Amino acid sequence: MTTTANRPSQPNTSKKTSADARADAPNLRVPKKLKSRSETKRRLRRTGWLMVAPSVLHIGLWTAIPVLATIALSFTDYDIFDAPAWIGIDNYVEILNDPTFRQATWNTITYTFWTVPVSMALALVIAVLLNQNLRLRNWYRTAFFLPQVTATVAIAMVWLWIYNPQDGLLNAVLSIVGIPGQAWLADPSWSLWAVILVGAWQGIGIKMLIYIAALQNIDESLYEAASMDGASAVRKFFSITVPLLKPATFFVLIISIIGAFQVFDQIYVLTDGGPANSTTMMTYEVYRSAFQNFQMGLASAQSVVLFAFLLVMTIISRRATKGDDE
Amino acid sequence: MTMTPSTTSTAHTSVALRSATRKRKLRQRIILNVVLAIGAITMIIPFVWMILTSLKSPAEIAAATQTFLPQTWQWSNYPEAMQAAPFLTYFRNSLVISISHTLITLVFASMAGYALARIAFKGREVLFLAFVAMLMIPTYTKIVPQFLIVKFMPLFGGNDILGQGGSGWLNSWWALIIPGGLSATAIFLFRQFYLSLPKELEEAARLDGLGEFRIYAQIYTPLIKPAIATVALLTFQESWNNFLWPLLVTTRDDLRVIQVGLAVFQQLDGTQWQYLMAGTTLATIPMVVLFLFCQKYFIQGFTNAGIK
Repeated sequence: MTTTANRPSQPNTSKKTSADARADAPNLRVPKKLKSRSETKRRLRRTGWLMVAPSVLHIGLWTAIPVLATIALSFTDYDIFDAPAWIGIDNYVEILNDPTFRQATWNTITYTFWTVPVSMALALVIAVLLNQNLRLRNWYRTAFFLPQVTATVAIAMVWLWIYNPQDGLLNAVLSIVGIPGQAWLADPSWSLWAVILVGAWQGIGIKMLIYIAALQNIDESLYEAASMDGASAVRKFFSITVPLLKPATFFVLIISIIGAFQVFDQIYVLTDGGPANSTTMMTYEVYRSAFQNFQMGLASAQSVVLFAFLLVMTIISRRATKGDDE
Repeated sequence: MTMTPSTTSTAHTSVALRSATRKRKLRQRIILNVVLAIGAITMIIPFVWMILTSLKSPAEIAAATQTFLPQTWQWSNYPEAMQAAPFLTYFRNSLVISISHTLITLVFASMAGYALARIAFKGREVLFLAFVAMLMIPTYTKIVPQFLIVKFMPLFGGNDILGQGGSGWLNSWWALIIPGGLSATAIFLFRQFYLSLPKELEEAARLDGLGEFRIYAQIYTPLIKPAIATVALLTFQESWNNFLWPLLVTTRDDLRVIQVGLAVFQQLDGTQWQYLMAGTTLATIPMVVLFLFCQKYFIQGFTNAGIK
């Protein structure tokens, strides 16, 4: 700031002189000003474009072109080595008839259901509990949020160890209570639940955090008025807190759905999609088609389907949380 | 309270009532703390278990009944783990990439964000909408062509001008650093931060004859230091934790990042839990430490962007 104050003395003086010259040559001044304004405009436009240019090029090359290419490739048969061959909607037909992809879609939806709406309800309860004057409040918040900043691969590694059938922590703890241990990740009837637990455990922090921020914006006097009318805590929660949190709920819902639909790292580490495809996800099928079977066209079609699901989910959540304010 | 004789004053009853409510409040408070503590411990235990396991001997880990704390603290597990796999190289690679991504983002995304927020140029609105649209593209809808662009990058890795014949950017720092260097999210965040500043500053600076670039670099950017810290931390975190992209574009051990290195080590030596947990601790520590020290900025960033 200080540097700006003493630097531009030169243009300053030049402006003053032109203003002084007004009295002498009024006719001359008008076109001059017009010219300089359009000059400024042109200069502004040039600077603006120069400043966004690197980002435009980068996002263009690494996001815009890939999206278009994905759509185009989804209508081709392409294995990297030979040129892509146009096959129309064959890839989409194949996806429709592929039981594995259907299973992956169902798994993704199940995973999303438990790690998004169910976790959100839990996160909201925690946020409400934390939104009080507690001495350990910040400690609790840190604890709940910690898994969120940690790498999913590292977290999955730890859970792989916790779920270990022989020496794992989970079976050890359960045996204390007399519950027989399970091969959590190797048993198809448990594996998806094991993956869901990790996802919910890791994702609860961000949901809680956004709810806490939103709760702090609710006017305290609303609760006071309700208390005076004799409303119970539960009643206040459902008639004041929940409705006023609708925008936050929409926000959490969208980012969580997008996140949940892209679950990949923990699948890769924990189960590799198995056993018997019980934990494979849409993303995992994209990965397998593209980078294990080199079916780039099929993988593109699968990712277009994934994208379509996300779009539909976004619209549905918008509808569901819009409520009566419209 | 119902036993109170009718002769006692109302004041007496209210005192009894008040102490009763206070007792109830205290009980509520205790229950609340217990519930929250159980939740918090559930979140922390896996991290504690990771560190404790990394300090146990193999015999102890395989024992029929494992104690919670190590019987002998095997600090030598860490140097041994680094012998078993080049975790230090992985760590360094992750650090180089994360710092590069952060720097690229801070320079270019802030410039773009500034221009979109404060410079009136033709096409700005359309450009902004385009960036917002790009923001919503999921990773998996671009990953296949991104890989193909890297593979067929002309004139790199033995490729000819048409991108044929070699491996392009695969197995190179280029692939690890350039595609992930910028994100529409960072640009969007910067735009919001620059928009929140008053217009008078730029008008004054323009009157003083400062160039647009200087107004950006010397006037506005110093004012959004907290925002810069937020975007820097989010970018670093995203980059440090990234797995899929480095997995796809590198096969060479000396270019592996720590998350991929961990996964590879687990596949090869999956039963050496003490080393695996030592490596996992290494992969976790930087983010945990950064988070504990810069919590404010993380929380601000996540509530604004909700990225993950």
